[in-house]
Amino acid sequence: MQSLSKASALRARPATEPVRRLHLPQKLRNLELFLLLIACFINASSVVLVQLGALGELDPTLVLLGAGLSVLVISLHVVLRFVARDADPFILPIASVLNGIGIAMIYRIDIADQESGWQSAAVRQTVWSALAIFCAIVVLLVIRNHRVLFRYTYIAGLIGVLLLFLPLVPGLGKEVSGARVWISVGSFGTFQPGEIAKIALAVFFAGYLVRNRDSLSMVGKKILGARFPRFRDLGPILVVWALSMSVIIFQRDLGTALLYFGLFLVMLYLATGRLSWVILGMGLFLGGALIASQTLDYVNGRFTNWLDALNPAVYDADGGSFQLVQGLFGLAKGGLLGTGWGQGRPEITPVPQSDYIIASLGEELGLAGIFAILALYLLFVARGFRIGFAGQDDFGKLLAVGLAFVVALQCFIVIGGVTRVIPLTGLTTPFLAAGGSSLVANWIIAALLLRLSDTVRNQPRLVV
Amino acid sequence: MNVSELTLLVLRIGFLLLLWMFIFGIVYALRSDLFGQRVRKMQTDAAPVAAAAFPASAVPAAVPVAAAAEAFTAPVARASPAGQDTPAAQAGTATSQNTTRLVITSGPKAGTEFPLGADTITIGRSSDSSLVIRDDYTSTHHARLMLWHDEWMLQDLDSTNGTFLAGSRVTVPTKIPLNATVKIGATSFELRR
Repeated sequence: MQSLSKASALRARPATEPVRRLHLPQKLRNLELFLLLIACFINASSVVLVQLGALGELDPTLVLLGAGLSVLVISLHVVLRFVARDADPFILPIASVLNGIGIAMIYRIDIADQESGWQSAAVRQTVWSALAIFCAIVVLLVIRNHRVLFRYTYIAGLIGVLLLFLPLVPGLGKEVSGARVWISVGSFGTFQPGEIAKIALAVFFAGYLVRNRDSLSMVGKKILGARFPRFRDLGPILVVWALSMSVIIFQRDLGTALLYFGLFLVMLYLATGRLSWVILGMGLFLGGALIASQTLDYVNGRFTNWLDALNPAVYDADGGSFQLVQGLFGLAKGGLLGTGWGQGRPEITPVPQSDYIIASLGEELGLAGIFAILALYLLFVARGFRIGFAGQDDFGKLLAVGLAFVVALQCFIVIGGVTRVIPLTGLTTPFLAAGGSSLVANWIIAALLLRLSDTVRNQPRLVV
Repeated sequence: MNVSELTLLVLRIGFLLLLWMFIFGIVYALRSDLFGQRVRKMQTDAAPVAAAAFPASAVPAAVPVAAAAEAFTAPVARASPAGQDTPAAQAGTATSQNTTRLVITSGPKAGTEFPLGADTITIGRSSDSSLVIRDDYTSTHHARLMLWHDEWMLQDLDSTNGTFLAGSRVTVPTKIPLNATVKIGATSFELRR
């Protein structure tokens, strides 16, 4: 026994491993490349299947649609090989498949609407994807360490609030189907600044809570086993509540308000570990939403459409449940395996390529396809939580979980709305739905998660 | 070119299968997240002997070390609950000022040092821990060392086989005395100046 421990002492190596990274195979990146090639194959075959199903023939010019995205994601992969070698290998392939399936579905709707050229939403979506992935590359190149963001906590908060209320500026804002969440950018099109605001606010909440959580978590009275905060510590949550209520009132957008408030609540819970904040926050939001549903017409309409969707009077009403019920019919038509790419009739539902892309996909890919897409979201979000769990600094932990949760909550709000689990509110399905601002925001989230995971794995470490 | 119904049906099911294979491929690649990291295979030349002898020899070998360390640090350990909790009285507690490194004292890599900064050190079998210990006794996320008010604390993360500070099992976050032995599985380490 003694000799053995001596032998092991002799085998001891110096503390710092010699620098030999150049010769190490990049296992994670190779795994990512393998998954990425499968992802590109899935994307290409979905475009081909759309053409076979809807046109009955192959149109080689538009196969470029799939090829364009493949070139983009592989260039992002190459950038990762140089600037974030240890980043998580699953985020990029998952995001690529979601983006590619989204483009294929939008292309399928274009065929039904007989749009082509620059009028085609699929071409525009591909161009937006290029821009979004370019933004992701810029984020990876500029932010070499996520702790830089910690310095700009309050600036990020200011930017977030400004972006959120930018559409209210007269002349700049634009109202689309009731909600005032868009700004028009010259002749180029419209942009939804609230999508970018969610990233800025996640950075702000993470930085703010790391600095101030002690006063929010330590003191307070115990009621029914949960420690409730003191009245004077309620400031932050009331400010965020007022912010989201003003989004409901002035921008007339229920979903965005729920998204920001939910994000703050979850990050507050993570930072303090106290359930009372969640109870308090949910009470505040439900109370606010209930009052809004009584006083604001549009909120009231959403609730009626949700609760009484199949009533003919509600179905035929102007702004009634026609869209919601058409989506449900589409999902029902899809059944277990779907009608197949290009063989359903998703174009009957209004806006089948953005808010209702999940219903369109459900019709053509069926329950099996919808569950596959949900599983992809689940894996994406789980990776984000996992990065947060493995992180060594509190700011990085909070930021990773906050960013992943924002994607999860957005999926819940929009897919829950389409499937009639909660009242329908207009949000985009991350990565899938047609919409440039949403794509840019979600690819930036993916880039930040990649950067965080690289930092986590790059900590000095010792393997025994 | 005209595509038959049958071809489309086969392609439709094929596409769904492809999608699900992609998902299961990802889940298979992250199986270590679900089932924990694999137990290490000894990769050096002396590997087979060490691996065979490891479970039997390493644990008893570590006991005298732990016992000795307990004897050595006992006065310190008793001193801190006694109430002199002011920082000055705690010359023995590892703080961010007086501690610079973590030294492995027993186990396969005895003698190795690890520099300590201000960051939390996570310990476990998972490959994203700062101190990765891949033996049979270590949990995927086993324990962590962190700075609380400038003092190094040891927290057990509900590990299966426990974390031992100077011979006694750690249940709540505990201050670590300088040079006290922390034992995780077959590996022990100390915090040193």
